[in-house]
Amino acid sequence: MTERLRRIDILLIAGAFLLLLPLLKFQRATDYIIFCVFVLSFDLIYGYMGRLSFGHMLFLGAGAYGATLFADRVSPNPFLSLLFAIAAAAAVGALLGPVAVRATGAAFALINLAFNQVGHFLVLIAFARFTGGEDGMAAVFSKVGFLDFQDKRVLFGFCLACLLLTCWGMKRLTTSPFGILLRMIKENETRVKFLGYDTFRYKWAAYTLSAGVAGFSGALSILNYGYVTPSFIDTNRNVEVIFASLIGGAGSIYGSLVGGVVFMAISNYLPTYIPRWEMFLGFGLLLLVFRFRTGIWGALSALEVFRPRREGEGG
Amino acid sequence: MITTVIYGFTIGGILYIISIGLSLTFGSMRIVNFAHALVYTTGAYFLVVALRTLGLGFLPAAAVATAAVLPIAAGIERFVIRRLYGESLDYAIIATYAVLLIGVDLIKWAFGATPIPLSDPIGKDVDLFGISFPLYRLLIVALAISIHGGLYLFFKRTIVGKIVVAGLEDKDAVRSLGIDVDRYFAIVFLVGSGLAALGGVLYAPITSVHPYMGFQVLLISFAVVIVGGMGSLHGTFLASFALGMVIAITGRYWGPAAETMVYAVMAVVLVFKPLDV
Repeated sequence: MTERLRRIDILLIAGAFLLLLPLLKFQRATDYIIFCVFVLSFDLIYGYMGRLSFGHMLFLGAGAYGATLFADRVSPNPFLSLLFAIAAAAAVGALLGPVAVRATGAAFALINLAFNQVGHFLVLIAFARFTGGEDGMAAVFSKVGFLDFQDKRVLFGFCLACLLLTCWGMKRLTTSPFGILLRMIKENETRVKFLGYDTFRYKWAAYTLSAGVAGFSGALSILNYGYVTPSFIDTNRNVEVIFASLIGGAGSIYGSLVGGVVFMAISNYLPTYIPRWEMFLGFGLLLLVFRFRTGIWGALSALEVFRPRREGEGG
Repeated sequence: MITTVIYGFTIGGILYIISIGLSLTFGSMRIVNFAHALVYTTGAYFLVVALRTLGLGFLPAAAVATAAVLPIAAGIERFVIRRLYGESLDYAIIATYAVLLIGVDLIKWAFGATPIPLSDPIGKDVDLFGISFPLYRLLIVALAISIHGGLYLFFKRTIVGKIVVAGLEDKDAVRSLGIDVDRYFAIVFLVGSGLAALGGVLYAPITSVHPYMGFQVLLISFAVVIVGGMGSLHGTFLASFALGMVIAITGRYWGPAAETMVYAVMAVVLVFKPLDV
Protein backbone atom coordinates (compact mmCIF):
# COMPACT_ATOMS: atom_id res chain seq x y z
CA MET A 1 0.00 0.00 0.00
CA THR A 2 2.35 2.63 -1.23
CA GLU A 3 1.02 6.01 -0.41
CA ARG A 4 0.61 8.45 -3.20
CA LEU A 5 1.70 11.98 -2.69
CA ARG A 6 1.29 13.94 -5.86
CA ARG A 7 2.47 17.44 -6.52
CA ILE A 8 -1.05 18.73 -6.03
CA ASP A 9 -1.11 17.17 -2.57
CA ILE A 10 1.69 19.42 -1.43
CA LEU A 11 -0.54 22.34 -2.39
CA LEU A 12 -3.47 20.74 -0.59
CA ILE A 13 -1.45 20.32 2.59
CA ALA A 14 -0.24 23.90 2.41
CA GLY A 15 -3.81 25.08 1.82
CA ALA A 16 -5.14 23.06 4.74
CA PHE A 17 -2.64 24.63 7.10
CA LEU A 18 -3.37 28.10 5.77
CA LEU A 19 -6.99 27.41 6.74
CA LEU A 20 -5.82 27.21 10.35
CA LEU A 21 -4.82 30.85 10.25
CA PRO A 22 -8.25 32.46 10.67
CA LEU A 23 -8.83 30.20 13.68
CA LEU A 24 -5.53 30.63 15.49
CA LYS A 25 -2.83 33.14 16.17
CA PHE A 26 0.29 32.80 14.03
CA GLN A 27 2.37 31.44 16.87
CA ARG A 28 -0.23 28.77 17.71
CA ALA A 29 -0.65 27.78 14.08
CA THR A 30 3.12 27.48 13.76
CA ASP A 31 3.04 25.22 16.80
CA TYR A 32 0.59 22.90 15.02
CA ILE A 33 2.91 22.70 12.04
CA ILE A 34 5.96 21.96 14.15
CA PHE A 35 4.16 19.24 16.04
CA CYS A 36 3.25 17.65 12.70
CA VAL A 37 6.95 17.50 11.80
CA PHE A 38 7.56 15.74 15.11
CA VAL A 39 4.75 13.25 14.48
CA LEU A 40 6.19 12.53 11.03
CA SER A 41 9.58 11.76 12.55
CA PHE A 42 7.94 9.45 15.09
CA ASP A 43 5.94 7.77 12.37
CA LEU A 44 9.09 6.81 10.50
CA ILE A 45 10.13 4.41 13.25
CA TYR A 46 6.65 3.53 14.56
CA GLY A 47 4.39 3.49 11.55
CA TYR A 48 6.92 2.40 8.95
CA MET A 49 9.55 0.43 10.87
CA GLY A 50 7.09 -0.91 13.43
CA ARG A 51 9.06 0.00 16.53
CA LEU A 52 7.17 1.78 19.28
CA SER A 53 9.42 4.23 21.06
CA PHE A 54 8.52 5.66 24.43
CA GLY A 55 11.40 8.10 24.33
CA HIS A 56 11.11 10.18 21.20
CA MET A 57 11.02 13.39 23.23
CA LEU A 58 14.74 12.84 23.78
CA PHE A 59 15.48 13.81 20.19
CA LEU A 60 13.08 16.73 20.23
CA GLY A 61 14.90 17.89 23.34
CA ALA A 62 18.32 17.31 21.80
CA GLY A 63 17.33 19.54 18.88
CA ALA A 64 15.77 22.17 21.11
CA TYR A 65 18.75 22.37 23.43
CA GLY A 66 21.17 22.09 20.53
CA ALA A 67 19.60 25.08 18.80
CA THR A 68 19.44 27.17 21.96
CA LEU A 69 22.99 26.43 23.04
CA PHE A 70 24.32 27.09 19.56
CA ALA A 71 22.48 30.42 19.37
CA ASP A 72 23.64 31.33 22.83
CA ARG A 73 27.30 30.35 22.58
CA VAL A 74 28.31 30.30 18.94
CA SER A 75 26.22 32.29 16.54
CA PRO A 76 22.72 33.79 16.55
CA ASN A 77 22.21 32.79 12.92
CA PRO A 78 18.95 30.77 12.93
CA PHE A 79 19.91 28.62 9.93
CA LEU A 80 23.21 27.54 11.43
CA SER A 81 21.37 26.83 14.68
CA LEU A 82 18.87 24.65 12.85
CA LEU A 83 21.60 22.73 11.08
CA PHE A 84 23.51 22.27 14.30
CA ALA A 85 20.37 21.08 16.11
CA ILE A 86 19.61 18.51 13.41
CA ALA A 87 23.19 17.30 13.49
CA ALA A 88 23.16 17.12 17.29
CA ALA A 89 19.93 15.15 17.45
CA ALA A 90 21.03 12.83 14.66
CA ALA A 91 24.34 12.30 16.45
CA VAL A 92 22.50 11.33 19.63
CA GLY A 93 20.39 8.95 17.55
CA ALA A 94 23.42 7.49 15.82
CA LEU A 95 25.14 6.99 19.16
CA LEU A 96 22.20 5.31 20.89
CA GLY A 97 20.92 3.52 17.80
CA PRO A 98 23.19 0.48 17.96
CA VAL A 99 21.93 -0.29 21.48
CA ALA A 100 18.31 0.59 20.83
CA VAL A 101 17.55 -0.95 17.45
CA ARG A 102 18.76 -4.38 18.41
CA ALA A 103 15.78 -4.59 20.73
CA THR A 104 12.24 -5.13 19.51
CA GLY A 105 8.78 -4.62 20.92
CA ALA A 106 8.62 -3.89 24.59
CA ALA A 107 12.36 -3.71 25.15
CA PHE A 108 12.71 -1.07 22.42
CA ALA A 109 10.03 1.06 24.05
CA LEU A 110 11.63 0.78 27.46
CA ILE A 111 15.20 1.37 26.37
CA ASN A 112 14.16 4.56 24.67
CA LEU A 113 12.24 5.57 27.76
CA ALA A 114 15.35 5.00 29.85
CA PHE A 115 17.53 7.01 27.45
CA ASN A 116 15.00 9.80 27.55
CA GLN A 117 15.08 9.75 31.32
CA VAL A 118 18.88 10.04 31.27
CA GLY A 119 18.65 12.94 28.82
CA HIS A 120 16.13 14.68 31.03
CA PHE A 121 18.43 14.23 34.01
CA LEU A 122 21.39 15.58 32.05
CA VAL A 123 19.72 18.85 31.07
CA LEU A 124 17.81 19.28 34.31
CA ILE A 125 20.59 18.57 36.79
CA ALA A 126 23.95 17.41 35.46
CA PHE A 127 24.47 20.23 32.95
CA ALA A 128 22.19 22.72 34.65
CA ARG A 129 25.04 25.23 34.53
CA PHE A 130 24.80 25.31 30.73
CA THR A 131 21.12 24.62 30.22
CA GLY A 132 19.63 26.69 32.99
CA GLY A 133 18.14 23.60 34.71
CA GLU A 134 14.52 23.94 35.69
CA ASP A 135 14.26 27.54 34.48
CA GLY A 136 15.52 26.81 31.00
CA MET A 137 17.17 29.46 28.89
CA ALA A 138 16.32 31.95 26.20
CA ALA A 139 17.60 31.98 22.65
CA VAL A 140 17.87 35.11 20.53
CA PHE A 141 18.17 34.73 16.78
CA SER A 142 19.37 37.37 14.38
CA LYS A 143 17.89 38.48 11.11
CA VAL A 144 19.20 36.79 7.99
CA GLY A 145 18.75 38.94 4.93
CA PHE A 146 15.06 39.73 4.57
CA LEU A 147 14.03 36.83 6.84
CA ASP A 148 13.24 38.03 10.33
CA PHE A 149 11.99 35.14 12.43
CA GLN A 150 10.86 37.48 15.16
CA ASP A 151 8.04 38.24 12.77
CA LYS A 152 5.57 35.43 13.44
CA ARG A 153 4.18 35.59 9.92
CA VAL A 154 7.58 34.98 8.38
CA LEU A 155 8.17 32.14 10.81
CA PHE A 156 4.81 30.60 9.96
CA GLY A 157 5.71 30.59 6.30
CA PHE A 158 9.14 29.18 6.97
CA CYS A 159 7.80 26.39 9.20
CA LEU A 160 5.14 25.52 6.65
CA ALA A 161 7.86 25.26 4.02
CA CYS A 162 9.83 23.04 6.41
CA LEU A 163 6.80 20.81 6.94
CA LEU A 164 6.23 20.47 3.20
CA LEU A 165 9.90 19.66 2.76
CA THR A 166 9.63 17.00 5.47
CA CYS A 167 6.52 15.55 3.85
CA TRP A 168 8.24 15.43 0.51
CA GLY A 169 11.33 13.88 2.04
CA MET A 170 9.27 11.30 3.89
CA LYS A 171 7.41 10.45 0.71
CA ARG A 172 10.63 9.99 -1.21
CA LEU A 173 12.08 7.97 1.60
CA THR A 174 9.15 5.69 2.27
CA THR A 175 8.60 4.86 -1.38
CA SER A 176 12.29 4.25 -2.01
CA PRO A 177 13.79 0.75 -1.72
CA PHE A 178 15.02 1.82 1.71
CA GLY A 179 11.49 2.66 2.85
CA ILE A 180 10.15 -0.59 1.45
CA LEU A 181 12.81 -2.45 3.38
CA LEU A 182 11.73 -0.68 6.55
CA ARG A 183 8.18 -1.83 6.01
CA MET A 184 9.40 -5.33 5.33
CA ILE A 185 11.25 -5.22 8.63
CA LYS A 186 8.00 -4.25 10.30
CA GLU A 187 6.20 -7.21 8.76
CA ASN A 188 8.81 -9.89 9.17
CA GLU A 189 12.37 -9.09 10.05
CA THR A 190 13.62 -12.66 9.95
CA ARG A 191 12.57 -12.99 6.37
CA VAL A 192 14.33 -9.77 5.42
CA LYS A 193 17.50 -11.10 7.01
CA PHE A 194 17.01 -14.32 5.14
CA LEU A 195 16.95 -12.37 1.90
CA GLY A 196 20.47 -11.26 2.73
CA TYR A 197 19.89 -7.76 4.03
CA ASP A 198 21.76 -6.54 7.05
CA THR A 199 18.66 -5.27 8.83
CA PHE A 200 20.68 -3.76 11.67
CA ARG A 201 22.17 -1.16 9.34
CA TYR A 202 18.81 -0.14 7.92
CA LYS A 203 17.21 0.13 11.34
CA TRP A 204 20.11 2.17 12.60
CA ALA A 205 19.89 4.51 9.63
CA ALA A 206 16.13 4.96 10.07
CA TYR A 207 16.56 5.57 13.79
CA THR A 208 19.23 8.22 13.16
CA LEU A 209 17.16 9.86 10.46
CA SER A 210 14.09 9.95 12.65
CA ALA A 211 16.16 11.44 15.45
CA GLY A 212 17.42 14.15 13.10
CA VAL A 213 13.92 15.10 11.97
CA ALA A 214 12.67 15.11 15.57
CA GLY A 215 15.58 17.40 16.43
CA PHE A 216 14.57 19.59 13.51
CA SER A 217 11.09 20.00 14.99
CA GLY A 218 12.60 20.76 18.39
CA ALA A 219 14.79 23.48 16.90
CA LEU A 220 11.80 24.96 15.05
CA SER A 221 9.94 25.16 18.36
CA ILE A 222 12.81 27.20 19.73
CA LEU A 223 12.56 29.56 16.78
CA ASN A 224 8.86 29.87 17.59
CA TYR A 225 9.08 30.33 21.34
CA GLY A 226 12.56 31.70 21.90
CA TYR A 227 13.27 29.73 25.05
CA VAL A 228 13.88 26.14 26.06
CA THR A 229 12.81 24.36 29.25
CA PRO A 230 13.18 20.74 30.39
CA SER A 231 9.57 20.14 29.32
CA PHE A 232 10.99 19.80 25.79
CA ILE A 233 12.61 16.56 26.89
CA ASP A 234 10.04 15.48 29.47
CA THR A 235 9.54 11.70 29.49
CA ASN A 236 5.89 11.98 30.41
CA ARG A 237 5.12 13.85 27.21
CA ASN A 238 6.01 10.92 24.99
CA VAL A 239 2.43 9.75 25.18
CA GLU A 240 1.38 12.87 23.24
CA VAL A 241 3.11 11.89 20.04
CA ILE A 242 1.98 8.27 20.39
CA PHE A 243 -1.59 9.48 20.81
CA ALA A 244 -1.28 11.79 17.83
CA SER A 245 0.17 9.05 15.64
CA LEU A 246 -2.58 6.61 16.62
CA ILE A 247 -5.47 9.00 16.27
CA GLY A 248 -4.34 10.11 12.85
CA GLY A 249 -3.35 6.69 11.63
CA ALA A 250 0.17 5.29 11.84
CA GLY A 251 2.23 4.47 8.79
CA SER A 252 0.94 7.27 6.61
CA ILE A 253 2.08 10.82 5.93
CA TYR A 254 -1.48 12.09 5.85
CA GLY A 255 -2.31 10.16 8.97
CA SER A 256 0.54 11.86 10.79
CA LEU A 257 -0.56 15.29 9.64
CA VAL A 258 -4.18 14.67 10.60
CA GLY A 259 -3.08 13.20 13.93
CA GLY A 260 -0.79 16.12 14.68
CA VAL A 261 -3.45 18.73 13.97
CA VAL A 262 -6.21 16.82 15.77
CA PHE A 263 -4.08 16.22 18.83
CA MET A 264 -2.99 19.85 19.00
CA ALA A 265 -6.59 20.99 18.63
CA ILE A 266 -7.74 18.65 21.38
CA SER A 267 -4.97 19.67 23.72
CA ASN A 268 -5.61 23.33 22.98
CA TYR A 269 -9.30 23.43 23.61
CA LEU A 270 -10.16 20.47 25.76
CA PRO A 271 -8.33 21.29 29.01
CA THR A 272 -10.35 24.48 29.29
CA TYR A 273 -13.54 22.43 29.36
CA ILE A 274 -12.43 19.20 30.97
CA PRO A 275 -10.20 19.46 34.03
CA ARG A 276 -9.24 15.79 34.00
CA TRP A 277 -6.98 15.91 30.95
CA GLU A 278 -4.87 12.83 31.70
CA MET A 279 -7.95 10.72 32.18
CA PHE A 280 -9.31 11.86 28.86
CA LEU A 281 -6.01 10.98 27.21
CA GLY A 282 -6.14 7.54 28.84
CA PHE A 283 -9.68 6.75 27.74
CA GLY A 284 -8.89 8.12 24.30
CA LEU A 285 -5.93 5.77 23.98
CA LEU A 286 -7.99 2.78 25.15
CA LEU A 287 -10.66 3.61 22.60
CA LEU A 288 -8.04 3.89 19.86
CA VAL A 289 -6.43 0.58 20.79
CA PHE A 290 -9.65 -1.41 21.12
CA ARG A 291 -11.99 0.12 18.56
CA PHE A 292 -10.27 2.46 16.19
CA ARG A 293 -6.84 1.18 15.34
CA THR A 294 -6.51 2.63 11.89
CA GLY A 295 -7.08 6.15 13.15
CA ILE A 296 -8.92 8.94 11.40
CA TRP A 297 -6.97 8.75 8.17
CA GLY A 298 -7.25 4.97 8.06
CA ALA A 299 -11.01 5.22 8.49
CA LEU A 300 -11.29 7.92 5.84
CA SER A 301 -9.26 6.06 3.27
CA ALA A 302 -11.30 2.92 3.91
CA LEU A 303 -14.35 4.78 2.67
CA GLU A 304 -15.01 3.94 -0.95
CA VAL A 305 -15.44 7.56 -2.02
CA PHE A 306 -12.02 8.64 -0.92
CA ARG A 307 -10.13 5.64 -2.15
CA PRO A 308 -7.72 6.81 -4.83
CA ARG A 309 -8.16 5.06 -8.12
CA ARG A 310 -5.08 3.16 -9.14
CA GLU A 311 -4.09 2.70 -12.72
CA GLY A 312 -4.16 -0.85 -13.95
CA GLU A 313 -5.46 -2.23 -10.67
CA GLY A 314 -9.12 -1.47 -11.07
CA GLY A 315 -9.57 0.35 -7.76
CA MET B 1 29.72 2.92 54.09
CA ILE B 2 27.93 0.13 55.93
CA THR B 3 24.88 2.36 56.18
CA THR B 4 24.98 2.74 52.42
CA VAL B 5 25.21 -1.01 51.91
CA ILE B 6 22.28 -1.69 54.22
CA TYR B 7 20.37 1.05 52.47
CA GLY B 8 21.18 -0.61 49.15
CA PHE B 9 19.84 -3.91 50.44
CA THR B 10 16.60 -2.22 51.52
CA ILE B 11 16.08 -0.67 48.10
CA GLY B 12 17.02 -3.98 46.51
CA GLY B 13 14.44 -5.79 48.63
CA ILE B 14 11.68 -3.37 47.67
CA LEU B 15 12.74 -3.48 44.04
CA TYR B 16 12.59 -7.27 44.07
CA ILE B 17 9.10 -7.31 45.54
CA ILE B 18 7.89 -4.89 42.89
CA SER B 19 9.81 -6.20 39.90
CA ILE B 20 9.12 -9.87 40.23
CA GLY B 21 5.51 -9.45 39.17
CA LEU B 22 6.59 -7.37 36.20
CA SER B 23 9.19 -9.93 35.26
CA LEU B 24 6.73 -12.81 35.43
CA THR B 25 4.04 -11.05 33.37
CA PHE B 26 6.71 -10.07 30.90
CA GLY B 27 7.97 -13.63 30.67
CA SER B 28 4.58 -15.30 30.65
CA MET B 29 2.30 -13.00 28.71
CA ARG B 30 4.94 -11.09 26.73
CA ILE B 31 3.20 -7.95 27.86
CA VAL B 32 4.83 -4.87 29.27
CA ASN B 33 2.48 -3.92 31.98
CA PHE B 34 2.60 -0.21 32.70
CA ALA B 35 -0.44 -0.69 34.90
CA HIS B 36 1.90 -2.36 37.35
CA ALA B 37 2.88 1.13 38.50
CA LEU B 38 -0.78 1.90 39.12
CA VAL B 39 -1.18 -1.19 41.31
CA TYR B 40 1.87 -0.13 43.28
CA THR B 41 0.63 3.43 43.78
CA THR B 42 -2.87 2.25 44.66
CA GLY B 43 -1.41 -0.06 47.31
CA ALA B 44 0.34 2.89 48.95
CA TYR B 45 -2.83 5.01 48.87
CA PHE B 46 -4.97 2.23 50.28
CA LEU B 47 -2.45 1.98 53.09
CA VAL B 48 -2.94 5.66 53.81
CA VAL B 49 -6.70 5.18 53.85
CA ALA B 50 -6.46 2.12 56.10
CA LEU B 51 -4.11 3.86 58.51
CA ARG B 52 -5.77 7.26 58.69
CA THR B 53 -9.44 6.76 57.88
CA LEU B 54 -9.99 3.27 59.24
CA GLY B 55 -7.49 3.78 62.04
CA LEU B 56 -5.94 0.32 61.73
CA GLY B 57 -2.50 -0.66 62.98
CA PHE B 58 0.27 -0.97 60.40
CA LEU B 59 0.15 -4.75 59.92
CA PRO B 60 -3.62 -5.07 59.45
CA ALA B 61 -3.58 -1.91 57.34
CA ALA B 62 -0.86 -3.35 55.10
CA ALA B 63 -2.82 -6.59 54.73
CA VAL B 64 -6.06 -4.75 53.93
CA ALA B 65 -4.35 -2.44 51.43
CA THR B 66 -2.68 -5.31 49.59
CA ALA B 67 -5.88 -7.34 49.49
CA ALA B 68 -7.95 -4.37 48.34
CA VAL B 69 -5.73 -3.91 45.30
CA LEU B 70 -6.31 -7.45 44.03
CA PRO B 71 -9.81 -6.85 42.59
CA ILE B 72 -8.45 -3.85 40.70
CA ALA B 73 -5.61 -5.93 39.30
CA ALA B 74 -8.07 -8.65 38.36
CA GLY B 75 -10.19 -6.05 36.57
CA ILE B 76 -7.21 -4.77 34.61
CA GLU B 77 -6.27 -8.32 33.65
CA ARG B 78 -9.79 -9.27 32.64
CA PHE B 79 -10.79 -6.18 30.69
CA VAL B 80 -7.57 -4.86 29.23
CA ILE B 81 -4.77 -7.37 29.18
CA ARG B 82 -6.75 -10.49 28.34
CA ARG B 83 -8.26 -8.75 25.34
CA LEU B 84 -4.79 -8.09 23.98
CA TYR B 85 -3.37 -11.60 24.10
CA GLY B 86 -1.55 -12.54 20.95
CA GLU B 87 -1.88 -9.07 19.50
CA SER B 88 0.87 -6.66 18.69
CA LEU B 89 2.93 -5.79 21.75
CA ASP B 90 2.63 -2.12 21.00
CA TYR B 91 -1.07 -2.09 21.68
CA ALA B 92 -0.57 -3.77 25.03
CA ILE B 93 2.01 -1.17 25.98
CA ILE B 94 -0.23 1.70 24.93
CA ALA B 95 -3.34 0.24 26.56
CA THR B 96 -1.68 -0.44 29.90
CA TYR B 97 -0.11 3.01 29.80
CA ALA B 98 -3.59 4.42 29.24
CA VAL B 99 -4.80 2.51 32.29
CA LEU B 100 -1.94 4.01 34.27
CA LEU B 101 -2.86 7.55 33.14
CA ILE B 102 -6.51 7.05 34.05
CA GLY B 103 -5.70 5.53 37.42
CA VAL B 104 -3.19 8.19 38.38
CA ASP B 105 -5.67 10.89 37.45
CA LEU B 106 -8.35 9.19 39.54
CA ILE B 107 -5.95 9.13 42.49
CA LYS B 108 -5.20 12.80 41.98
CA TRP B 109 -8.92 13.47 41.88
CA ALA B 110 -9.59 11.58 45.08
CA PHE B 111 -6.54 12.46 47.14
CA GLY B 112 -5.00 15.53 45.53
CA ALA B 113 -1.44 15.76 44.26
CA THR B 114 0.24 16.74 47.52
CA PRO B 115 2.65 14.12 48.84
CA ILE B 116 1.47 12.39 52.00
CA PRO B 117 4.27 11.55 54.44
CA LEU B 118 4.04 8.44 56.60
CA SER B 119 6.11 7.64 59.64
CA ASP B 120 8.19 4.54 60.23
CA PRO B 121 5.68 1.99 61.52
CA ILE B 122 8.13 0.32 63.90
CA GLY B 123 10.23 3.25 64.95
CA LYS B 124 12.87 1.08 66.61
CA ASP B 125 16.54 0.94 65.70
CA VAL B 126 18.84 -2.03 65.96
CA ASP B 127 22.59 -1.97 66.40
CA LEU B 128 24.60 -3.72 63.76
CA PHE B 129 28.37 -3.44 63.35
CA GLY B 130 28.23 -0.62 65.87
CA ILE B 131 25.86 1.48 63.77
CA SER B 132 22.14 1.70 64.37
CA PHE B 133 19.57 1.07 61.65
CA PRO B 134 15.83 1.28 61.54
CA LEU B 135 14.55 -2.21 62.21
CA TYR B 136 11.91 -1.65 59.55
CA ARG B 137 14.49 -1.58 56.75
CA LEU B 138 16.08 -4.81 57.91
CA LEU B 139 12.68 -6.47 58.06
CA ILE B 140 12.03 -5.46 54.45
CA VAL B 141 15.21 -7.20 53.33
CA ALA B 142 14.22 -10.31 55.31
CA LEU B 143 10.75 -10.22 53.78
CA ALA B 144 12.11 -9.91 50.26
CA ILE B 145 14.37 -12.91 50.78
CA SER B 146 11.54 -14.98 52.22
CA ILE B 147 9.25 -14.00 49.33
CA HIS B 148 11.94 -15.12 46.93
CA GLY B 149 12.17 -18.44 48.80
CA GLY B 150 8.41 -18.78 48.75
CA LEU B 151 8.15 -18.10 45.02
CA TYR B 152 10.99 -20.53 44.34
CA LEU B 153 9.15 -23.27 46.21
CA PHE B 154 5.91 -22.30 44.49
CA PHE B 155 7.43 -22.76 41.04
CA LYS B 156 9.41 -25.84 42.01
CA ARG B 157 6.95 -27.81 44.11
CA THR B 158 3.34 -26.89 43.38
CA ILE B 159 1.51 -28.08 40.31
CA VAL B 160 0.34 -24.57 39.47
CA GLY B 161 3.90 -23.32 39.60
CA LYS B 162 5.10 -26.16 37.43
CA ILE B 163 2.44 -25.47 34.84
CA VAL B 164 3.51 -21.83 34.74
CA VAL B 165 7.19 -22.73 34.36
CA ALA B 166 6.34 -25.15 31.59
CA GLY B 167 4.13 -22.51 29.99
CA LEU B 168 6.98 -20.01 30.02
CA GLU B 169 9.14 -22.58 28.27
CA ASP B 170 6.68 -23.67 25.60
CA LYS B 171 3.15 -22.41 25.79
CA ASP B 172 1.77 -24.41 22.91
CA ALA B 173 3.10 -27.70 24.20
CA VAL B 174 1.44 -27.16 27.57
CA ARG B 175 -1.78 -26.16 25.90
CA SER B 176 -1.73 -29.30 23.80
CA LEU B 177 -1.85 -31.25 27.08
CA GLY B 178 -5.29 -29.80 27.61
CA ILE B 179 -4.25 -27.18 30.14
CA ASP B 180 -5.66 -23.68 29.92
CA VAL B 181 -2.31 -21.89 30.25
CA ASP B 182 -3.80 -18.42 30.17
CA ARG B 183 -5.75 -19.11 33.36
CA TYR B 184 -2.56 -20.00 35.15
CA PHE B 185 -0.80 -16.97 33.75
CA ALA B 186 -3.67 -14.90 35.12
CA ILE B 187 -2.91 -16.35 38.55
CA VAL B 188 0.71 -15.33 38.13
CA PHE B 189 -0.45 -11.88 37.12
CA LEU B 190 -2.50 -11.58 40.29
CA VAL B 191 0.34 -12.80 42.48
CA GLY B 192 2.67 -10.29 40.82
CA SER B 193 0.18 -7.46 41.24
CA GLY B 194 -0.35 -8.36 44.88
CA LEU B 195 3.40 -8.20 45.41
CA ALA B 196 3.59 -4.84 43.63
CA ALA B 197 0.91 -3.50 45.95
CA LEU B 198 2.84 -4.91 48.88
CA GLY B 199 5.93 -3.14 47.56
CA GLY B 200 4.03 0.14 47.49
CA VAL B 201 2.76 -0.47 51.00
CA LEU B 202 6.23 -1.25 52.32
CA TYR B 203 7.96 1.60 50.55
CA ALA B 204 5.37 4.23 51.52
CA PRO B 205 6.76 4.82 55.03
CA ILE B 206 10.29 5.25 53.62
CA THR B 207 9.42 7.82 50.99
CA SER B 208 6.20 9.78 50.74
CA VAL B 209 2.99 8.81 49.00
CA HIS B 210 2.20 10.80 45.87
CA PRO B 211 0.30 10.10 42.62
CA TYR B 212 3.40 9.85 40.44
CA MET B 213 5.39 7.56 42.72
CA GLY B 214 4.65 4.69 40.36
CA PHE B 215 6.25 6.27 37.30
CA GLN B 216 9.72 6.47 38.80
CA VAL B 217 9.67 3.03 40.34
CA LEU B 218 8.27 1.47 37.20
CA LEU B 219 11.22 2.59 35.08
CA ILE B 220 13.70 1.24 37.59
CA SER B 221 11.73 -2.01 37.80
CA PHE B 222 11.90 -2.31 34.04
CA ALA B 223 15.65 -1.88 34.26
CA VAL B 224 15.74 -4.66 36.85
CA VAL B 225 13.72 -6.92 34.58
CA ILE B 226 15.91 -6.19 31.56
CA VAL B 227 19.15 -6.66 33.50
CA GLY B 228 17.89 -9.76 35.31
CA GLY B 229 16.29 -11.44 32.34
CA MET B 230 12.57 -11.60 31.69
CA GLY B 231 10.70 -14.24 33.63
CA SER B 232 13.82 -15.32 35.49
CA LEU B 233 13.30 -15.62 39.24
CA HIS B 234 16.93 -15.72 40.29
CA GLY B 235 17.97 -13.17 37.71
CA THR B 236 15.42 -10.68 38.98
CA PHE B 237 16.53 -11.35 42.55
CA LEU B 238 20.20 -10.70 41.80
CA ALA B 239 19.48 -7.72 39.54
CA SER B 240 17.25 -6.12 42.19
CA PHE B 241 19.93 -6.18 44.83
CA ALA B 242 22.69 -5.20 42.41
CA LEU B 243 20.72 -2.19 41.15
CA GLY B 244 19.57 -1.34 44.66
CA MET B 245 23.21 -1.17 45.59
CA VAL B 246 23.94 1.00 42.52
CA ILE B 247 21.24 3.43 43.66
CA ALA B 248 22.50 3.52 47.23
CA ILE B 249 26.16 4.01 46.34
CA THR B 250 25.50 6.63 43.65
CA GLY B 251 23.07 8.36 45.97
CA ARG B 252 25.74 8.60 48.63
CA TYR B 253 28.04 10.56 46.36
CA TRP B 254 25.62 12.41 44.10
CA GLY B 255 21.97 12.16 45.12
CA PRO B 256 20.20 13.32 41.95
CA ALA B 257 22.13 10.89 39.75
CA ALA B 258 21.08 7.78 41.70
CA GLU B 259 18.27 6.69 39.38
CA THR B 260 20.01 7.74 36.20
CA MET B 261 22.91 5.47 37.08
CA VAL B 262 20.52 2.52 36.95
CA TYR B 263 19.74 3.25 33.31
CA ALA B 264 23.41 3.63 32.55
CA VAL B 265 24.03 0.19 34.01
CA MET B 266 21.12 -1.15 32.01
CA ALA B 267 22.52 0.35 28.81
CA VAL B 268 25.90 -1.25 29.47
CA VAL B 269 24.24 -4.60 30.12
CA LEU B 270 22.31 -4.24 26.87
CA VAL B 271 25.45 -3.53 24.90
CA PHE B 272 26.95 -6.82 25.97
CA LYS B 273 23.76 -8.83 26.17
CA PRO B 274 21.32 -7.71 23.50
CA LEU B 275 17.89 -9.08 24.10
CA ASP B 276 15.23 -10.43 21.85
CA VAL B 277 11.70 -10.16 23.04
